[in-house]
Amino acid sequence: MSAKIQQLAEIDRVIHEPARLMIVALLAAVVEADFQYLRNATGLTQGNLSTHLSRLEEAGYIAIEKSFRGKYPLTICRLTERGIEVLDNYRKVIKAALR
Amino acid sequence: MTHSSSLLHQEDPNAIAKRLMQKAHTRDGLPEIAVGITFLVLAGLCWLQEIFKHGTNGYQAASLGMVLLFPALAFGTQWAIKHVRRRFLIKKVGYVEAKPVNRKQRGIVFVIAAAVAAAVTIATYIFIRGSHSSTAFSATGWLLAGTGIIGGAGAAFLGRLPRYVVGGVIMAATGIYLAFSGVSLNAGFAILYGLIGLLSLISGCVVLLLLVRQPAQEGE
Repeated sequence: MSAKIQQLAEIDRVIHEPARLMIVALLAAVVEADFQYLRNATGLTQGNLSTHLSRLEEAGYIAIEKSFRGKYPLTICRLTERGIEVLDNYRKVIKAALR
Repeated sequence: MTHSSSLLHQEDPNAIAKRLMQKAHTRDGLPEIAVGITFLVLAGLCWLQEIFKHGTNGYQAASLGMVLLFPALAFGTQWAIKHVRRRFLIKKVGYVEAKPVNRKQRGIVFVIAAAVAAAVTIATYIFIRGSHSSTAFSATGWLLAGTGIIGGAGAAFLGRLPRYVVGGVIMAATGIYLAFSGVSLNAGFAILYGLIGLLSLISGCVVLLLLVRQPAQEGE
């Protein structure tokens, strides 16, 4: 039991933040999503979402790509392999600790 | 943001994603409009079965329409919703590319569809048997009430939004009322599906209209 609790100390703090956890969880469930979709789904403000996306990109958990769909500019975000790995690990640690 | 961080951390990331995607999916009212159109078409076909006598061409055409309606609409409405969102609502609802459905999910959908088909077959068998005895009224009643209650509970459980819960309660109450009203099976289904279709269509149109009239948000 104590070993499981101690594992919590090693938890990834970048992902553990609630807003970033929402973003990463959402991106894990889809192939890719744009800024507007993430803003609607998470309910975060534009500035807040922008900051969290930058933080996740810096950590290498998500990839951000600017593109167009017709005349509409899109900021497309997708989870990287590293992001998938970190989320899986996070899920395991939290599950074990809460059991 | 309405989430408490402590609660969020107790939830599996998959559950968080499902909840957030559900919220985003119902934001524009398009799924309700699609459900409304499906139910109204179904109500129309039930009404045709009520008008035409059993064994006539009209009755058979309506029956065939019912058999073809669900697979066509199940795939067709999903495609149409995706197309409308990307063509007309991308600025409001954003862009998302869903993951392709995997074999396990397909299997689950197939098992559910098979279970529903089996339940409908059994219910129809009970109804046909009942129609030859003095319990015909109760068999029709059971089917109408059962459809209303199961459909209503499904709408409330899957939708998880107040308007879906209200719709579910109305569907269940209508099913129960029709069960006691002595109406024929096809007329009962036509009324039940018609009412739910109309409510769903109106609710979806209102949600879509409110979204379209919202001022555009600034870009990132």
